[in-house]
Amino acid sequence: MTVYIGRRLLQMIPLLFGISVILFGVIQAAPGGPEGALLETGRFIDPDVIEAYRERLGVDQPIHIQYVRWLGGALQGDLGVSFSTTRPVAEMISERLPATLELMGASFLLAAIMAFGLGTLSAVKQYSWFDHVGTGFSFVGIAMPVFWFALILQLVFGVWLQWLPVAGTETVGATSLGDHLLHLVMPATVLSLRYVAGWSRYLRSSLLIALRTDYVRTARAKGLRESAVVGIHAARNALIPVVSVMALNLAGLFSGAVITETIFAWPGVGRMFVQAMFARDYPLLMGILMLGSVMVVFFNLIADLVYGVLDPRIRYE
Amino acid sequence: MDWGRGWRGCAMVGALALGVGACGGEGGSRSALTSADGRQVLRVAYDREIDVLNALTSQNLVDIQFSMVEGLVTTNQNNTYIPVLAKEIPTQENGLIVVRDDGTVTMTWPLQEGVRWHDGEAFTSEDVCFTWRFVTSEGSQVYNRHEYMSIVGCDDSDEHSVVFTWNGMRGYYAGIFEAILPEHVMGDMTTEEVINYTPYNRGDALVGTGPFRFAEWRSGEYIRVVRNNDYWRGPQYPAIDEIVWSFLPDQNTRLNALKAKQHHFGQIEATQFDQVSDLEGFDVNLVSENTFMHFDLSLNNERARTLFSTRDVRQALFHAIDRQAIADLLMQGTVRIANSPLNPTSPYHNPDVPGVAYDPQLSAEMLDRAGWSLASDGVRAKAGVRFAFTMLNRAGTADRIAIAQVIQAQLKEVGVEVTFETLENAAWTQRWRSRQWEALVSAWFLPADPAITGLYLCDGPNNMTGFCDPELDELMERSDGYLDLAQRKEWLDRAQVALAETARMLPIYYNVSPEVVSDMITGYQGSGTNFGSFWNLWEWTLGG
Repeated sequence: MTVYIGRRLLQMIPLLFGISVILFGVIQAAPGGPEGALLETGRFIDPDVIEAYRERLGVDQPIHIQYVRWLGGALQGDLGVSFSTTRPVAEMISERLPATLELMGASFLLAAIMAFGLGTLSAVKQYSWFDHVGTGFSFVGIAMPVFWFALILQLVFGVWLQWLPVAGTETVGATSLGDHLLHLVMPATVLSLRYVAGWSRYLRSSLLIALRTDYVRTARAKGLRESAVVGIHAARNALIPVVSVMALNLAGLFSGAVITETIFAWPGVGRMFVQAMFARDYPLLMGILMLGSVMVVFFNLIADLVYGVLDPRIRYE
Repeated sequence: MDWGRGWRGCAMVGALALGVGACGGEGGSRSALTSADGRQVLRVAYDREIDVLNALTSQNLVDIQFSMVEGLVTTNQNNTYIPVLAKEIPTQENGLIVVRDDGTVTMTWPLQEGVRWHDGEAFTSEDVCFTWRFVTSEGSQVYNRHEYMSIVGCDDSDEHSVVFTWNGMRGYYAGIFEAILPEHVMGDMTTEEVINYTPYNRGDALVGTGPFRFAEWRSGEYIRVVRNNDYWRGPQYPAIDEIVWSFLPDQNTRLNALKAKQHHFGQIEATQFDQVSDLEGFDVNLVSENTFMHFDLSLNNERARTLFSTRDVRQALFHAIDRQAIADLLMQGTVRIANSPLNPTSPYHNPDVPGVAYDPQLSAEMLDRAGWSLASDGVRAKAGVRFAFTMLNRAGTADRIAIAQVIQAQLKEVGVEVTFETLENAAWTQRWRSRQWEALVSAWFLPADPAITGLYLCDGPNNMTGFCDPELDELMERSDGYLDLAQRKEWLDRAQVALAETARMLPIYYNVSPEVVSDMITGYQGSGTNFGSFWNLWEWTLGG
């Protein structure tokens, strides 16, 4: 196992290098440059100021020189300085990462609880009204645009009922754990919806197959309670594909947070990514995208490892 | 910590997780507008997160900064410069401006006395001269650096007045030095060091002379400032104890937050006006911005030159566009039709500039006379060239794209085909700057100073249209050369008429910025300049 993990970690190096080259090229290939931020306000800008700005940021240099400069810094842990804030990128990301991880964690937990409940009940009570409602909910959840669902929640729970704050993470000056949790409810619900829908469908299908297997029939024949049959014998095997998907989706939660964080003014990395994109803040974009890439690669590894834990037939060499 | 509300949050999470959506506890309004401890805490729903707190190097509008940092001048609700750290604005009448025989100008700015920076140091003329040196230094990145470059000397020998020497008369002189940097903090730094000085940019080392001091910047969330107890205007100012600017860039979220009464103040889009016009406890003020929306044509490529070189043809296109319908229907009647770049709130606005009447019949006749005949496909053509062009749209600007769609539909009525190319902001800007476009809808945000030279001069730094009119250039440049309002206005009036007569662009309307203001606030006087409506925060109060 250790050798396997070591090998996978080593494989990450050329993979991430390749990703960085592609990302840097794609970012630079996008039309426009960071000087666009100067003109966004509609003010008159001295053209000399624009040229000086480009020169100071180094974007007047050929792309390969810019990349080598970025890579040299990145290898030493220096992701560069943000064009727009003049602050170190690593510092900015580390400042925002906890909020994103918190939102991801809450959404993951919420999605897992709901998906397990929905999926299991739908499978156990196949073709019942609950199954049909669950199926309908899943399709709606997958199809519903995140931003639309978010705005509907804001309108209902924030504006009409005034149960929940519309945006942010706290009421400044009245901060408390309860206040913070209230702020978390809507963004976590929105971010989790798609995954609840997807995971519950996976679990239902997987559990339906498991419930028809010989070992489950044997368990039932032994006189075990149905809850034990489903919960212990069927569920563990049914979970194998689901947990793999969940591990892979963890990285998706990170990227999915972009829209959710923007709408709910949640101060995470996703929202910062949107700001960086519009400002053509190349170092910040590279930092965030590389973090996302690392997370995808890392959670792929986690998915593979979890697979082995859940299924004793799988051995890593 | 208030653990009492914690259970409610947990219950909400659980309830939503189960799809119940119900919640025990208090229910009803949780308005955050009244501070429990009686302090006046102003909560603002702000439309973006700013980049840095240095008001001179920030690439955003800097109204938050002006709560902490002051300049020699600001602009008021009448679109007029008023003194702040200056005792008065120099003019030839008050004897503070002297024009020398060699054409240079000596300008004396008397400074407020007894002003202290937030760290207790005295504000003096050295700070002003330091600011001038920084702005004019190579690579300072101050957006209007060129305006400061005409100052060739700064004398700070008297700490309570500063004397500038200008290399000539510049009409915009009263509109610069909107922020002053502290010499005692940054005096030994290089230009690059000032730009990158994070403690100042992020607020920890920010010292200003303004009514509020920096308190906290939670990245991605808010900036909080607190009362400056030693404010130079007197101990009664400011009345507000604390201001929290929450960053809510999404316009729908901002609207919902205001409707939920979680903020005292916020800007919304003109198209959202109806949704808050009857919001209880709030007024919606339509602040006339110093911004005007316009439809630009260019002469940048062969096709554009073929189509738009003739004045009558351009005029014909403009006659086909119903600006009143755009104002009444698209903008819900919140805006005012524009005929000139200068807003009616500006003392330099010329109300006699001729407008362009909506007359599609006349438009068609003029195009016929110009030889552009309707072809069988419904599009006019001349010598084998179809009257078809592309408008460059900026993604995410819903108002401009909607206007472009109206223009497209109305020009189609007179046999002109318009197609769209929509680019994201940075890409749009690059295309605009590189002059690779034929037509677009855009808006300029003008300072209170009325100079339009940079926009329309043949080689003006922001003239990306390819249009050039030497007669107009002369009018604008003569206007810029006067310091006196009346003399300057005389030439600007003529320039505004000349600009309209060239029909190089169609002014559509003067933008408004609907500001949703709680009736708890007194002292608010909305201003549409690039200084924004927080120009007089020192006299705002927040009632219970």
